[in-house]
Amino acid sequence: MKQIALITILAAAAFALPLVIGENPYITGILISVLMMAALSSAWNILGGYAGQYSFGHAAYFGAGAYTTLILLTIYPTLNPLICVALGIIAASIIALITGSIVFRLRGHYFGLASIAVAEIVRLSVLNFDFTGGAQGILLSDVSLWGLDLNSKNPFYYGMLLVLVVTLGITAYLRTSKTGYYLQAIREDQDAASSLGINLSYYKNKSLLISAALTSVLGSLYGLYIRFIDTSAVLDLRLSIEIILTAIIGGVGTLWGPVVGALLLVPLAEMLRSNLLGDTLVKAGLVSETSALGIFLKENLAHAHVLVYGIITVLCILYLPKGILGLFRRTK
Amino acid sequence: MIQDLLRISHVSKHFGGNVAVLDISFSVDEKQIVGLIGPNGAGKTTLFNCITGFFPATSGEVIFDTKKINDLRPDEICRLGMARTWQRVKPLGSLSVLENVMVGAFSVTNKARQAEENAMEQLKRVGLTDYASKSAGSLPIGLKKKLELARVLATEPKLLLLDEICGGLNHTETDTILDIIRTIRQRGTTIVFIEHDMKAVTSICDRIVVLNSGEMLAEGNPEEITNNPDVIAAYLGGGHHA
Repeated sequence: MKQIALITILAAAAFALPLVIGENPYITGILISVLMMAALSSAWNILGGYAGQYSFGHAAYFGAGAYTTLILLTIYPTLNPLICVALGIIAASIIALITGSIVFRLRGHYFGLASIAVAEIVRLSVLNFDFTGGAQGILLSDVSLWGLDLNSKNPFYYGMLLVLVVTLGITAYLRTSKTGYYLQAIREDQDAASSLGINLSYYKNKSLLISAALTSVLGSLYGLYIRFIDTSAVLDLRLSIEIILTAIIGGVGTLWGPVVGALLLVPLAEMLRSNLLGDTLVKAGLVSETSALGIFLKENLAHAHVLVYGIITVLCILYLPKGILGLFRRTK
Repeated sequence: MIQDLLRISHVSKHFGGNVAVLDISFSVDEKQIVGLIGPNGAGKTTLFNCITGFFPATSGEVIFDTKKINDLRPDEICRLGMARTWQRVKPLGSLSVLENVMVGAFSVTNKARQAEENAMEQLKRVGLTDYASKSAGSLPIGLKKKLELARVLATEPKLLLLDEICGGLNHTETDTILDIIRTIRQRGTTIVFIEHDMKAVTSICDRIVVLNSGEMLAEGNPEEITNNPDVIAAYLGGGHHA
């Protein structure tokens, strides 16, 4: 109950945030990215953090939502986007059920490897089919829902916030329910779990389905928000890995870990991408613009945000194996 | 009383060309405590794995409560009322002691509050109440064995298979566990019990089944077994008397 109250308070604060910052598309855009990554990572956490099944292929479910929605809207421009979101969930669920029924027989690292393989199959299929736009991707010119101004960013801010709140709510509920205990038992020891009456494949598939459905909703929202998708934007292995790193750095298997991870990593990536870090250091006179370090900061670092993620991850694994939130967890 | 709550007939288990268990048949009546003994490698744990669904038997039948359970998964067998502990304890390390037992209790209830109540009751039975909020991974081995027992009791089994539940414990701890097992039986649970400690086995078991190199060597009450020359030769060492 305490967690539900905390979710409500923070959601209310996040709800009011656009009113405070006013009309600032740049900041709103970054906030949308933070909310999306927090929700993606939280959805992954239900499967990876609680059930301990490290999926390296969540981009497949994100892409399923995005592609289903944009393909349908290209063919039927008058269709209600929410119907497309629902159909995206069905598409993601089908992929999840096929994946789960095959790869959950595998344990440990083999599950992770198999999940990459499935996601790559999805990506390469989409890349080579015609109806998916192939390598060109899909561009959506116009979309409308309830007379909302979908050219502004605010509807998507609230959309992402809603999915994040729902995801956190589901996670908080799971933690105190039979399913949540069973998922954690599966994570800790599959033989012990099985000997205590837990149907391993049922509960693994259940957590995968919940996780995949939420991920696909985020994919649909992203597609409607950006209105241009291709395989490198929504089906790339890089996306799957960013989702996992966010959870690991924040704290795997904790309610708030993915949120903390996203709050840290997304703005950091933006700072690197936009050269904010290099510019600030040069302007402050700390680094000369013509020195080797200055050139590196201004020219190269912008392309290296994944490298920085990697370094942070290594540091986290070495010094904070339970993530940032692991620091604050009471030790029993 | 139910005759033959568990009946094992002609069970064999091969791993490739290796025969781990060959043509074992015995049965267990309700409320009995049956000991399963034998030297290392005799096939005791393999037989447990065949009975509880972890390794399906290559041939033969396992009948529990008049139902053939050869082809069922371990979780289905557990929900039918047959539960096991592990020789190498398997605590759910990052969960608390109470949460470990709750996982067991969830096999008979869907409500977290009810599961917690049942779990506290089982912790009281084995004397772990004070450790309820400790992390299960941090317990010493003696308490981990008690936790295994509490967790499996929370599934409310009709038949309990204990795999060396006293292994690695000192005399006081062993006596405590044996006392707990006696009270479990008094409340109507049937027990099959793998153990090395001959004194523990003879003091608590109604009947004993002896395995040697995967085959059944003898079956009988404790007195018959301790005086059986084959058993003495194979298990207790040639020429010595128990």
